[in-house]
Amino acid sequence: MSMRPSISILVAFAIVAGLFVAARAAAADDASGPIAIKAAKIITCDATDTIVNNGVVLVSKGKIELIGKASEVKIPKGYRIIEHDGWVVPGLVDAHNHIAGSLSDLNDGVYLTNPGLRTVDVVDPRNENLENGLSGGVTSVLLIPGSGNNMSGFGTITKTFGNSTDEMLIRSPGSLKIAQAGNPERYWYGVGRTFMNWNTRNTLQKAKEYHDERTDYEQGGKKDGPAYDIVWEDFRGLFERKYPVSVHTQIYQVYMSTITMLRDHFGLDVMTDHSTFDSFKLASHIKERKMIPIVGPRQFYPDFRDRTISGCASRFREQGVEKVGFNTDAPVIPQEDLCYQATMACWFGFDDHYEAIKGLTRIPAEALGVLNEVGSIEPGKDADLGLWTGSPIDPREHCQMTIVDGKVGYDVKVRRRTR
Amino acid sequence: MLKGRSMKIAHCGRIGRRVSLMLALAVSLSVAGAADAQTILFENARIVPVSSKDIKKGSVLVKDGKIVRVAESLEAPFDAKVIDCTGKTLFPGMVDPHTWRGMDVPNESPPVTPFVNVYDAIDPSQLFFEDSLRDGVTSIHIIAANDCVIGGMSRVVHPIGMTPEEMTTAGQVALKLCISPKNGFDRMLQMATFRETFAKLDESMKSLAEKRYEDKLREEGKDLDVPPEEEQKRGRELIRDEDVDEKDRNLLWLTQGKIRAFIYCGKAMDVRPAIALAKKHGFYEQTVLVLGSECFKATDELKDARRPVVLDANLVHREKDPITGEEKETFVPRQMDRAGLKFALQRQASSSLGDRYLWYQAARCVAEGVSRDKALKSITLWPAEMLGLGERLGSIESGKDANILVLTGDPLDAQTWVEHVYVQGEHVYDREEDIRLKKLFAKPAEEAGPSTSESAPADEEKAAEGDSKPELKNADDQPRQDQPRRPGEGRRGGRRGPGGGPRPGPRGGE
Repeated sequence: MSMRPSISILVAFAIVAGLFVAARAAAADDASGPIAIKAAKIITCDATDTIVNNGVVLVSKGKIELIGKASEVKIPKGYRIIEHDGWVVPGLVDAHNHIAGSLSDLNDGVYLTNPGLRTVDVVDPRNENLENGLSGGVTSVLLIPGSGNNMSGFGTITKTFGNSTDEMLIRSPGSLKIAQAGNPERYWYGVGRTFMNWNTRNTLQKAKEYHDERTDYEQGGKKDGPAYDIVWEDFRGLFERKYPVSVHTQIYQVYMSTITMLRDHFGLDVMTDHSTFDSFKLASHIKERKMIPIVGPRQFYPDFRDRTISGCASRFREQGVEKVGFNTDAPVIPQEDLCYQATMACWFGFDDHYEAIKGLTRIPAEALGVLNEVGSIEPGKDADLGLWTGSPIDPREHCQMTIVDGKVGYDVKVRRRTR
Repeated sequence: MLKGRSMKIAHCGRIGRRVSLMLALAVSLSVAGAADAQTILFENARIVPVSSKDIKKGSVLVKDGKIVRVAESLEAPFDAKVIDCTGKTLFPGMVDPHTWRGMDVPNESPPVTPFVNVYDAIDPSQLFFEDSLRDGVTSIHIIAANDCVIGGMSRVVHPIGMTPEEMTTAGQVALKLCISPKNGFDRMLQMATFRETFAKLDESMKSLAEKRYEDKLREEGKDLDVPPEEEQKRGRELIRDEDVDEKDRNLLWLTQGKIRAFIYCGKAMDVRPAIALAKKHGFYEQTVLVLGSECFKATDELKDARRPVVLDANLVHREKDPITGEEKETFVPRQMDRAGLKFALQRQASSSLGDRYLWYQAARCVAEGVSRDKALKSITLWPAEMLGLGERLGSIESGKDANILVLTGDPLDAQTWVEHVYVQGEHVYDREEDIRLKKLFAKPAEEAGPSTSESAPADEEKAAEGDSKPELKNADDQPRQDQPRRPGEGRRGGRRGPGGGPRPGPRGGE
């Protein structure tokens, strides 16, 4: 298939319609049909850490079909071949994003807990921040409300590219957003941790009681269960561990409350975003519970008391926490800069670059419970791929093409965004 | 296990990792896990048991975290770890009767929050706990401060552990009630809020009692038999803890005498209403009065009330005569002593002076005429009794928790240092291994030795520079500044690496 005529037409069109539209049109143009990507290196991030040199990835119907050596795989007819003299890595997964929707719908400040809200209502496929995210190889994000309340609503896991919200959706609810301290302290005349934690616990307790009674009723235990409640219904998946709570938590005491309250007391599946400051001092407790800290957007902790600087991710790792991921908190830092979070973690002592790539892909996908769909390059999974000139951790390299569900969402030849 | 929990762990790291381990000191001080069963015999020690006369040379036997025997001479059990304490003094771990420190904020904004719990705000990583351990304070009563009408549930903790659970000596201890008005309130509104709160509690208990009585009748298949007033009376004892709304429970326990009331009186005029409130709502016997320094003027009322008192950390009350300009000084503990009251001393919250230490506060009482015996009790046994923990804490006697300090000398002597701390029989502090005190005890030759400051690498300077714009989270994170800087010792551009930071004050300052 020749791309040149369509591009020249599109360039002319772009003058009229603007570059963004052009980029999307170009992507849509190539959407149909299966593709074969031949690459110098394929980092699959699968369970056995397979790396294929001089390999090929076959993609059809939006899914990965096959991965193998270029010398061994026979590319079937009808496959568009993309020759790539660089690395193919899984599409990056950001477990902490506020930009997939409209920024004005970030927080509802009336109550300290307002769990009835859902970000799925505000996902915006035409959001230009998402397009920028594509230029950094980011293909899946957890869109969560802000941290102005202790409990600010349910998040959504969505792709960064697609024609509609429905097409892009991976899972809703993606998580329940909880912020245990920090920003909510500014609420009203200021609230302290005794009040905030009491409030959060109390809300979860009510939801738990509803869930238990309702479950009992459904299983025929009690004759008259509690009346159906649309807000508490969303919580049931939390107690069934179908989706996690994503917790804005950092600083020793706050992270400690996350462990003791959410994980130990309520037995929830807990994903911690931020995980910065001196959270790493809790590594022994985190390791014991096999929790996955997702670190960012600041990768270091300057301790003014002891006059030391620590890399947050590396301190977790050196104390035996196996899985550490990275996040941006976009728009706090731009979505497309997700890979630089891992870069900075490595700069601050997280010395395993391969694990760092996993921390951008497989590990956040696992923490979000969507590893069956995204996070690695394996047959049957969504065809979300980043075609990089080299390692995503190396700031000298860049992403040349991003493929989401088998469609080209970003192509540096069509539209280059300098990061 | 024992070793794991002591400060020693800070030294077990790889060479060259010491700086980063220093940072983790707060954590290395505290390691999870229950104590291994340990039998320890301290022998040849001078013992100041507080509850009885000093023993010039004696032994203390500890088993499973408890003190088993105290005597002049004891045979060591075959499995005991024997510690020779020749020249040392054993003293009970001191008890801090009342502090909001260790939490994020002193008080919540809403005026009435009896339902919250300090558990949710205790930050084990605060320097405050580390300092407490170093200073020999092994029991700390953390409670809401005095800017509220009713504050949340308090807790007694020992300053070692990674979570509040691990640190807990006793939960569900007391509620804070303030007679002196909260910021923005006046005394009338303050008292009206009390009336309203207790009236509401009463109402909800009545309706709950009525409901419980009717539930019982229904279960038994009986018809209603008595008027509502009678139902409310009969139903009272049918109320179970789980029936009570979570927001009411702590307050209900207070009126039932199950927990204690720490009632703050900032001024002498607050003492009478405090006593009246406690009597009216049934928690008089559980009341401890927390007094401002002016309250000594209500000594007669206090004498009649015979309730124990917690005194302001500011021990001297000073007042100027508006006409003559003459200054009048009153040493408050001496007044309380004369009135025959049991009193507990506090530490000044964020002080760089001597009053940040309990032993110093007690020593000052001795200077002003309080007997040594009572001064010692005011930092150990009496506060323990006020917390309802007189059976467990505050003295070295059999049956009590083995919270024991090994001191270099008399507890009230300014040259005395805490050498070892045992909490519930576990060795949790060793001064030899206290990194923060290293500089203080370095011999002059050692200190002047090969100087790292000569060649401070660039990144270390960066670290020092970061200090000038710190993001502070709370007072504990303040860079230490209590020592005056010598000329040429400025922070910015000063040729000092992180190792050459400002020295802690006497007895390990903040």
